Amino acid sequence: MLNFDYRRPESLDEALSLRKEWGGKSSLLMGGTDLFLAIEEEVRRPELLIDLKKIRALSGLEEKDGAVHIGAAVTYSELIHSDLVHQKLPGIWESSRLVASVGIRNSATMVGNICNAVPSAESATPLMIRDAVIHITSASGSRSVPAVEFFTGPRRTVVKDDEIVTSISVPLMKGKFGESYVKLGRYRGEDIAQVATAVLVDENWNYRIAYGAVGPVPMGIPGAEAVLKGKKPAADLIEKAKSEVLNTVSPIGDIRASKEYRLHMCAVMFEKAIDAAVSRMETGAPAYGARLI
Amino acid sequence: MSKNTKVVGHDAVRIDMEEKITGAALYTDDLPFGPNLLHMSVLASPHAHAEILNIDTSEAEKFPGVMAVATGKDYPQKFGLYLQDKSILPVDRVRYVGEQVAVVIARTKEIADEGCKLIKVDYKILEPILDVRDALKEDAVLIHPDLGDYQVIPWINPQPGTNISHIRKIRKGDVEKGFEEADFILEDEYHVPHVVHACIETHISVARYDYTKRLTMWNSTQSPHTQRHIMANALGIPHKDIRIIAPYVGGGFGGKAGISMEALTVACQKVPGYPVKLRWSRKEEFLNSSQRQELRATVKMGVTKEGKITALRHIMHWDVGASAEYGNNVVNATGFSATGPYYIPNVSIDSVGVYTNHPPCAAYRGFGYSEFHFGIESHMDRIAKAIGIDPVEFRRINAIKTDDEVAYKCHMNPSGMLECIDKVAQAIEWGKEEVSDDPDIVIAKGFASAWKAPAMPPNAGSSVFIKFSEDGSINVLVSGMEIGQGLHTAVAKFASEILTVPLNKIRVELPDTDRNPYEWQTVASHETWELGNATIRAARDARAKIFDVVSRAFHLEKESLYLEDGKVKDDLDPDFALPFEDFVITGIQTEFNTWVGGPIMGIGSFIPEFTNAMVDPDTGMGGHPNVHYTVGAGAVKIELNKKTGVVRVVKMAEGFDCGKAINPDLVKDQIVGGFIQGLGTALYEVCIFDDKGKMLNTNFTDYKIPTILEMPDEMIPIIVEVPQPDGPFGARGMSEHTMIPVMPAVANAIANAIGLRIKDIPLTAEKVALRPLQKDFVAEK
Amino acid sequence: MVREIEFTLNGYHQKVSVKPGEKLLDVLRDKLGITSAKYGCGKGECGACTVNLDGKTVRSCLMYAVEADGSVIETLEGFQRLGKKEIQEIYQKHNAFQCGFCAPGFILSTDELLSQNPDPDEEEIKEALAGNLCRCTGYKNIFSAVKEMVEIRKGRES
Repeated sequence: MLNFDYRRPESLDEALSLRKEWGGKSSLLMGGTDLFLAIEEEVRRPELLIDLKKIRALSGLEEKDGAVHIGAAVTYSELIHSDLVHQKLPGIWESSRLVASVGIRNSATMVGNICNAVPSAESATPLMIRDAVIHITSASGSRSVPAVEFFTGPRRTVVKDDEIVTSISVPLMKGKFGESYVKLGRYRGEDIAQVATAVLVDENWNYRIAYGAVGPVPMGIPGAEAVLKGKKPAADLIEKAKSEVLNTVSPIGDIRASKEYRLHMCAVMFEKAIDAAVSRMETGAPAYGARLI
Repeated sequence: MSKNTKVVGHDAVRIDMEEKITGAALYTDDLPFGPNLLHMSVLASPHAHAEILNIDTSEAEKFPGVMAVATGKDYPQKFGLYLQDKSILPVDRVRYVGEQVAVVIARTKEIADEGCKLIKVDYKILEPILDVRDALKEDAVLIHPDLGDYQVIPWINPQPGTNISHIRKIRKGDVEKGFEEADFILEDEYHVPHVVHACIETHISVARYDYTKRLTMWNSTQSPHTQRHIMANALGIPHKDIRIIAPYVGGGFGGKAGISMEALTVACQKVPGYPVKLRWSRKEEFLNSSQRQELRATVKMGVTKEGKITALRHIMHWDVGASAEYGNNVVNATGFSATGPYYIPNVSIDSVGVYTNHPPCAAYRGFGYSEFHFGIESHMDRIAKAIGIDPVEFRRINAIKTDDEVAYKCHMNPSGMLECIDKVAQAIEWGKEEVSDDPDIVIAKGFASAWKAPAMPPNAGSSVFIKFSEDGSINVLVSGMEIGQGLHTAVAKFASEILTVPLNKIRVELPDTDRNPYEWQTVASHETWELGNATIRAARDARAKIFDVVSRAFHLEKESLYLEDGKVKDDLDPDFALPFEDFVITGIQTEFNTWVGGPIMGIGSFIPEFTNAMVDPDTGMGGHPNVHYTVGAGAVKIELNKKTGVVRVVKMAEGFDCGKAINPDLVKDQIVGGFIQGLGTALYEVCIFDDKGKMLNTNFTDYKIPTILEMPDEMIPIIVEVPQPDGPFGARGMSEHTMIPVMPAVANAIANAIGLRIKDIPLTAEKVALRPLQKDFVAEK
Repeated sequence: MVREIEFTLNGYHQKVSVKPGEKLLDVLRDKLGITSAKYGCGKGECGACTVNLDGKTVRSCLMYAVEADGSVIETLEGFQRLGKKEIQEIYQKHNAFQCGFCAPGFILSTDELLSQNPDPDEEEIKEALAGNLCRCTGYKNIFSAVKEMVEIRKGRES
């Protein structure tokens, strides 16, 4: 039987002291769209829910000191409707539009998404390629963790029981760049990614490439980045980089897709994602949000 | 009769639409039952096949708030529609994962859930049978060892000592000779997996038993009277003391036909006076609401080089799951019809229902026809290509025509088959090649024909009461269910047309077995035809009574009276016009100040008086099992991405010969809705089981039904009207049919696009992408 | 652990006692007489339980009632009172629904779309409604109804 207490602190300090007091017996509630089901299915049995939605310090979405700061209470719908995000973080904007459906995006938050930390987490790879930093606070202090180091296993992160993720900072790009986020689902309607590919390219032909849903945690593909570094992609380079991708990912087969199809699509989506990112940098097309597969 | 109609054949807003868009339409879960309402939860079996050694409910019974616990010991009787192979709760054996083993009735749902957790069941696990091919082996474990003891209706043939729940055989002509006459023969196997109805409303039942021994139920159901009949027999309660009230239903598609969880809420007998509610969770709905049967079919077809089909051998092995009961009629109906909509002189069909330890299967929109058409219509394309005839032309050559002999040697009803084929081919621009600007995309088209007859007992009845009110408005009482298909709008139109009362003065009432007259069930796409006929009879009966009283009161000739705009008029006296509101309740005052007449009511009943289910079990001959077939065709245009394997249907055209479209707009809506449901089952939907028989995707996360984003850009529904002589205004049913052509049409389009012949549904992107990469892949030309 | 929460429901101020684990859907249905929000899947995947909370649609099956404390909630029951009848009427005219079970969710999603985006294109309409599942209609009439609503609103503005 669901038998937990509920608190809705109005300040971060209050939340942190609750977190300190209750530790692993508490769960943090933001949009709740993942947590709710975890509780329902008794995957998690918190004794206290700490609802962070009313803490104003967590609701910021702003550009400051060369980065965009996304507060823990910012929902996907807010990200999608933000011109700042659309212009400065177009890959994150593109991926946010593919999260579930409007009714979920109105509640669900990006911080919640990465804290839930499923291998297919929609925001993981777009944050990784932008060198995003996750800000984590506890009653005893704060720390910041690069997105690439945030995930430690399926449904596991570096966040400790007394901590709260307060925001994400995404550094602004200097100069021209292009991004892309390609998601494999079983159809156009809502689905969990079976493969997710995120690519960033800048005007000096530096690449950042990350894959989701093809290993226990979302992963960068440094080998492919190295192959392409400094060069405009040509067919032979793409092939070489693609084999780096295929050597790095380790998909499983499950009821959503077989291992073979995931591997096949890792390669197909790699080309599409590189193509789109480069083309966006050079020509501005295809528009962000356009279907890439 | 169908000329000059004022209402029938014209578009109208559905009579239930305003209720549904304002929230006034109440579904079972929306009804208030007050503080006495108790809740039921169900303990499900974790095993696909196991003996129940012991059930200990003592802890559950002690839990505060638990009012009652029931197990199979309370219900030794078997029940079922066609074969009584179902238990209310299992007594000694569970036969699928999710089978409901015990129920707990408690003050709240949470307490009932807790109560279930406290029940201890000792199982002896048995090896599950999860494939019909294993179930049919000589030494296979028997899933129903007592099959020979079960009650069964005369035309269902279970085979005790095997796992066969029913066989329907057709032996027409001489198939061996037919194959000898053929210039080309193709034989192959096709597989269609289990799928579910996925109504957005899950099953729900509220039941109350009181100290006068009266059982009242509020059920989300397509079958209130059939449920009452089954309950009455199973529980030994007189029919009159069971009352089933059927509020609006949030989607049926066959899933709410017959009886399923409503048998569980009868455990309310343990707590007299209290209403008890059971609403299935989505997961319970997936496992228990009767899935669509899995089909493994072997099709062997011979043709001449001119394209005439000479012979067909069609063996269908249906995985009926853990109990067949209603599902046996799927086996039966498809046995008679598995030629598809073609004239074939020599036919051998074996339709075999086979028990497994999968969830029980039963009626699903299309009633087996979607499944066997996948094989037949895939075969039609392959053969046409092999002998060098255009697939559409090949279908034209063999299309069933009016009076042609069907597989059981009765004669085909009036058929617009050729018109359907031609109009659909024209709408999809058959033969016109299209090339995409995107080099990864192949554009192709696929075609399929379809037919279906209502599958029902030969004496399935419908009946109607029509009653007038003081203002001349009408309440039509039926027990045909409005499940979204628009039946009540059709009923209102029939009454409106004959009684000349406008639609806004007619209500059609939802079923209540106490008040509304008998209806067999709202299934089989028979209601427009059958309930429609009963409605017309009721309207004519009311009209006759009107003419009678008016002629007596005013000394007029009955024969010269007619109705117009809600008034009685007289051919012989243009000035005579008597509005209904002047007399339909009060009667008419005579010249002596006495009164004649009284409240006007019409009654109408209908059964088909020409059908006969008693056929020779070895040949299928000698009966007249079907009332009529409805024919049609469907086609798709796809964009297939060679790299991702994604198949997107961008255009569809489907045409069906509905005899007469009572409301053309709603006929088109059935075509579109059925097509999209078919598209889901073609491309995405499949129940996935592990090797222990546990279904792994009991949610919409992993059981994907189409969203609005899957809708084709262009959809062309086509109405063909070759009247059905015994149909109301010439109508015959068409709602289920619209799903049938979709799976083969898409499969044929994929084959036309890249030469890949997929014989295993669903036609996933993965199959399309990976198969052509494999070395042994040979493209179909 | 029972607590009192308050919110505005279809324009009326309401106060209700709940336990922290009670779902908003259940509280609306069982304690406040709301029937338009329906149980369909319990996992936020079908949209039948859609309600509008502080101007945005949410899945009431995926929220605890306590989270709604202090909010403004609208459901289909409040539509006519809140002056939103037009959406319903156009849906009616298009025979947009069959069994009708999903209708409240679609109507609320449509209301949200039109209040945020007066001139959505076809893709935006589909995207806004993609979280509402309908098994009956094939979506065609739902789509054409929303397109007409957009046209009517545009005509009114120009």
